[in-house]
Amino acid sequence: MASDRTSSSARTNRADGLVDLYERAGYLRVEPAILQPADDFLELAGEELRRSLFITSDARGRELCLRPDLTIPVCREHLEKAAPGRPAAYCYLGPVFRDRGDGSAELLQAGIESLGRADCEAADAECLALALDSVRQYGAADPEIRMGDVGLFAALVAALDLPPAWQRRLIKDFNRAGTLEADLATLKLARGAGAEHAGVLAALAGSDPAAARALVADLLSIAGIKAVGGRTVAEIAERFLEQAELGAATRLPAETMAVIERYLAIVGDPDEASAALRTLAADAALDLSAPLDAFEQRSGFLAAGGADVSGIRFATAFGRTLDYYSGMVFELHAKKKSRADGPLAAGGRYDRLLTLLGSANPVPAVGFAVWIERLEQAGGRP
Amino acid sequence: MNEPLIVGVPSKGRLMENAHAFFARAGITLLQPGGGRDYRGTVPELPGVEIAYLSTADIVTNLAQGSIHLGVAGEDLVREMIPDADARVVLLDGLGFGNANVVVAVPQAWIDVRTMRDLDDVATAFHHKRGRRVRVATKYVNLTRGFFSRHGIADYRIVESLGATEGAPASGTAELIVDITTTGSTLAANGLKVVDDGVMLRSQANLVASLQAEWGTDARATARALLDRIAAERRAHTMREVRTRFPDADAEMVAEAKGRFGVIAPLGGPTSSGMLTLLCPPDAVHLLATFLREHGAEHVMVAAPEYVFARENPLFDKLAERLG
Repeated sequence: MASDRTSSSARTNRADGLVDLYERAGYLRVEPAILQPADDFLELAGEELRRSLFITSDARGRELCLRPDLTIPVCREHLEKAAPGRPAAYCYLGPVFRDRGDGSAELLQAGIESLGRADCEAADAECLALALDSVRQYGAADPEIRMGDVGLFAALVAALDLPPAWQRRLIKDFNRAGTLEADLATLKLARGAGAEHAGVLAALAGSDPAAARALVADLLSIAGIKAVGGRTVAEIAERFLEQAELGAATRLPAETMAVIERYLAIVGDPDEASAALRTLAADAALDLSAPLDAFEQRSGFLAAGGADVSGIRFATAFGRTLDYYSGMVFELHAKKKSRADGPLAAGGRYDRLLTLLGSANPVPAVGFAVWIERLEQAGGRP
Repeated sequence: MNEPLIVGVPSKGRLMENAHAFFARAGITLLQPGGGRDYRGTVPELPGVEIAYLSTADIVTNLAQGSIHLGVAGEDLVREMIPDADARVVLLDGLGFGNANVVVAVPQAWIDVRTMRDLDDVATAFHHKRGRRVRVATKYVNLTRGFFSRHGIADYRIVESLGATEGAPASGTAELIVDITTTGSTLAANGLKVVDDGVMLRSQANLVASLQAEWGTDARATARALLDRIAAERRAHTMREVRTRFPDADAEMVAEAKGRFGVIAPLGGPTSSGMLTLLCPPDAVHLLATFLREHGAEHVMVAAPEYVFARENPLFDKLAERLG
């Protein structure tokens, strides 16, 4: 036990060096509570997270958990302060808790959150540069940089002429390995709508939305159904009609399919990727100029900050499994294989998170976290 | 015996009655020496067995921890309460009672929701529009998470509900539910319907063995005897005893009957006087009786055997294979 304690305090001492690094870069150290309301984590990251959460409850029945990361606690503290509208930069170091089956459930994390900066591309580049500095400080030189852009996929889906139901589905499934492929396979197969309503749906297809909504409302009231379980009759009618539309055109045009597949196949360094993306946009006559301008601007800031842009592996299909990411996402991995079973550092842009946490105005935000134990394994001796 | 085989049996209600009846059919009498208030019981036929009367949830917990060897428990609870259940317990046999399906049910008014895929879409749209996720009321937190994840559904929240779950949508504490149902009438009475491909598990009471328990020589020997009785009773259910006697009964005819009706001849071929005893699957009895009379039988007698013991002990083998 004694040696454990020594190595644990040595670990923290060495990690304090990261906090020094962040503080010199202008980030204010914060220390949120270890015990946090579970609700925000589950609501924002999804039920899948519950599997790895340590949950308890207080006497009033509120669900609490040991924090599984610090992004949400830091953001909430920021909103509780007097002037959440002002830009702010925070850093942290401390334990996070995740049930991983075997292996220790308590892990040390350090990281930063940069909130409220309007110059998003510069902030993205600064964030990635600081993550690289963190890894370098542990002697894990030259990590592999994997990068993606969730916002770019959303922009592509918005630019394509897709039914709203499919837009929502594709964006939701983008981050979930396996399901996006399944979606694309379904889009290729021309499968009809549910057989039992097919006749009604066909009759409604193309009819005036207001009349159709009234019809559905009538049908429900004839059936004596009052409780609609949290959804309004209008919502049910609307989606019922959406299905009617989908039934008429479940098969995507081959060109649209081809554009999505070609998009998802693009990999390379950011410069190669943006060239390929511009060609794709031109070929498919899609206007992606705004997101691609921003993309290239970010690459410029990365190069100006001293990063080797040609060494970054950008992949359009790369995403992270947390729902709240909205733009650039990245992971840093050790090049040499080690026992470390995940990224050394991971982060990205999450412009929607503070709104979801209750901010009245949108707050652009970007940040990353490093895994101290993995850094130690990947790096050399201090 | 020094080391008893501990068997967990439900301590009250219909499950307890059914479990008692099940063991009684296998010739295993469960005695509660102190009456209903005693939580330990014995089996006069098998002195090495100790019965532990427990709540169903406690049976599952004890199986997972290995503090009982065998137990009667619903598959729904086993799969919900034991992570990686198949690595820690063995479901030896379904007992034919306690049948219930674990299903996903949504308000009947959701006429646009027939399949899990529809539900996925509605959940995403709901999240998008309301800025919060649809809530699923259930006591099956783990089963629900696994099932929803397999269907790619991410935009939902679980609300734990330990009773009257079917009332949650009407009272506004959840939008939909995951619950057990036998006939679906409770769901219908609450304005709910089962999603077409939303049956997560068809559950029934099982005889479950713990792989975590201490399986010494004594416990194994007792389990072998106990499971032999149960297997003999189960086997008897799948067979009818068919007896006849006529001079033309010969080995060739028996071979044909084996091929056509799946019978076995437990006592060997016909005797010299043409006496023949066959075991036949119940649904082939009438065809076999016709067949035998066509070959010359005057009478064919059919009876249900109480037990059919065999050299094999499939239930014990299933356990022994996993214990190694």
